[in-house]
Amino acid sequence: MIVNILILIIPLIASIFYKNIKNSSAIASIIELFLLVFLYFNETGPGFFFVDNISIIFILMVDSIYLLSLLYSRKYVHSIKNRGISENFYYLLMNFFYVSMVFALMVNNYGFMWVGIETTTISSALLLITEKSDTSLEATWRYIIIVSAGVTFAFISVILIYYSFHTLTVTTIIYSGVKDTVAVRLAVGIALVGFGTKVGVFPVHTWLPDAHSEAPSPVSAMFSGVLLPVALYVLYRIYEIFPLRELFVWAGTISVLFAAIFLGYQRNYKRMFAYSTMENMNIALIGLSTFTYFGMIGSLLLLLSHSFGKAGAFYSSGNIYKMSDTKNIADIGGLINNRMSSVSLLLSSFAVTGTPPYGTFFGEFLILYSVFQIHFYAQFIIIVLSLFLAFVSINFNVSKMIFRGKSDYSENSVSTLIPLIAAIISIAVGVVFLVVYNEIL
Amino acid sequence: MNIIYTIIYLIAALITITGFYIQGNKYIRSMAMTQGFQSLLIAMVSFMLGFALKEYTFFILGILVIILRMFLVTYFLINKIPKNKSYVYESKISTTYLLIMDLIFIIISIFIVYSVSFVYIKTTTFPASNILLFPLLLFFQGLFLISSRRRTMAQVLGYIEEENALILLGVFILPVPMIIETSVFLDVLILVVIFSVISIEKPVHEKMEELRG
Repeated sequence: MIVNILILIIPLIASIFYKNIKNSSAIASIIELFLLVFLYFNETGPGFFFVDNISIIFILMVDSIYLLSLLYSRKYVHSIKNRGISENFYYLLMNFFYVSMVFALMVNNYGFMWVGIETTTISSALLLITEKSDTSLEATWRYIIIVSAGVTFAFISVILIYYSFHTLTVTTIIYSGVKDTVAVRLAVGIALVGFGTKVGVFPVHTWLPDAHSEAPSPVSAMFSGVLLPVALYVLYRIYEIFPLRELFVWAGTISVLFAAIFLGYQRNYKRMFAYSTMENMNIALIGLSTFTYFGMIGSLLLLLSHSFGKAGAFYSSGNIYKMSDTKNIADIGGLINNRMSSVSLLLSSFAVTGTPPYGTFFGEFLILYSVFQIHFYAQFIIIVLSLFLAFVSINFNVSKMIFRGKSDYSENSVSTLIPLIAAIISIAVGVVFLVVYNEIL
Repeated sequence: MNIIYTIIYLIAALITITGFYIQGNKYIRSMAMTQGFQSLLIAMVSFMLGFALKEYTFFILGILVIILRMFLVTYFLINKIPKNKSYVYESKISTTYLLIMDLIFIIISIFIVYSVSFVYIKTTTFPASNILLFPLLLFFQGLFLISSRRRTMAQVLGYIEEENALILLGVFILPVPMIIETSVFLDVLILVVIFSVISIEKPVHEKMEELRG
């Protein structure tokens, strides 16, 4: 209990040192990693907080990407010319954003989970206008209004859960066994629409490409790498009450298909990576919805590896934007001359498209296996075709950006190490899994 | 007791009518004021239920609605509406067309959502009644307001209308614990503050080439 509270309080304490918040936040995020190790060995039993092996993995993802984003932001945010918010306020919001996500992951109550998810919108909304422009303001607006309206749906789900069980405590409800009533089915179904808005389920995903493409790159990395998985975690906790397997797997499959189609005609590389996030999140949703051992392992592996891979992709995108001042794929070429940027972009692109030996590949493999295992053959075929389409679309565009034409961009003003580290961690996740858990495969 | 329930029924119908009034209204300031009135009606429903069921939590909920939703939210919204003439009046809408579209949208949504699912939910406060129709009507009305208007402030009002519908739904089905309800109120209040900040920078929303596809 004390460790849980410390995890929530330390970033807030770091925010008190407002004038030096850039450094205090980074220190806080490192302390958070140590606390997480402690939490792992002293798992929190059911109480106000509930942390099990699943939530530990999610908290690890959030904390790691938070740390990487803070480090990457130091150079990136400092160099923004037309800032919508001050540099210190940016770090303050990042801290609140992190705390709200971890709160949603640790709390043992569906009502507070909803509050946590809504608070992530509040804390992250103004981060989107760090690079202020007319487009970023419009994207911010779309993000707030679509996500808030969608998450409002999810509160109906919370009301129905309370109506059905007369409690909102997660562990009490899950351990009470399956209860098949119209209200429970309705609660789970509505949660798919409500929290699905934040996860990026089709057709309530429309905020996602706008927000990801207009947010500063470290924030895009936080959105893509961890915010969406946190919403997915909450959705999964509700799904556990009464697994509507067919509905959820179909919703995920259709979303993956549409994401793959959208990927085919993207002109903006940040939007392209945003649709890739939609694709990956829905694959993970399918894995969790199969409600099988392999589906669960595959989803967690996919999410963990994806978070680092996608963070690397967005950091690389940020560097390219800083160097070229354009987000248009057709206007970028010859990145091969910038070794660090091109390598990190290529590795990240492989990571998010599920290339072996990345963790995303093994994750997708296990998820596909679990879909096959539960005899959902039509969905299996659609997913495989969509994955292939997405793989070709993203890697074709990235290859064009790297190998086509010539360029004279300078890497002096950007931090090239962080994107590379993120992409390498994504490979490491896959390699460690292969070595340690090879019997699963 | 039956009289109280009849009055609650009538107020619930009036709340839905205020939703339609906001939809048809072109004056932003008047729309915001009507939202305040709508919140007052919800608080009244809560007080009356508290009286009928002898449950003090309904009274606390009613007080929270009055302080946070009726006064503070309306204050923030009205305060941020610029005195500019073009802003207080939204001229580019055809009221008749919008109301007809609104009715079609709501009838279809209610048919899908209510008749196949919510009709089976027996409310604790109004057993054997179809009172849940009113919050659902208000909810979809709010959604339609968001999607049909271009002004930032009109869309914010649509969002608040959705939140009001949720309070009403909770009150009729089973109110969630007060600590959670309070957190939700505060969250919405902060969101409204952020909304109003952005509404100054971006009062109208049009399609943008950069955000297509």
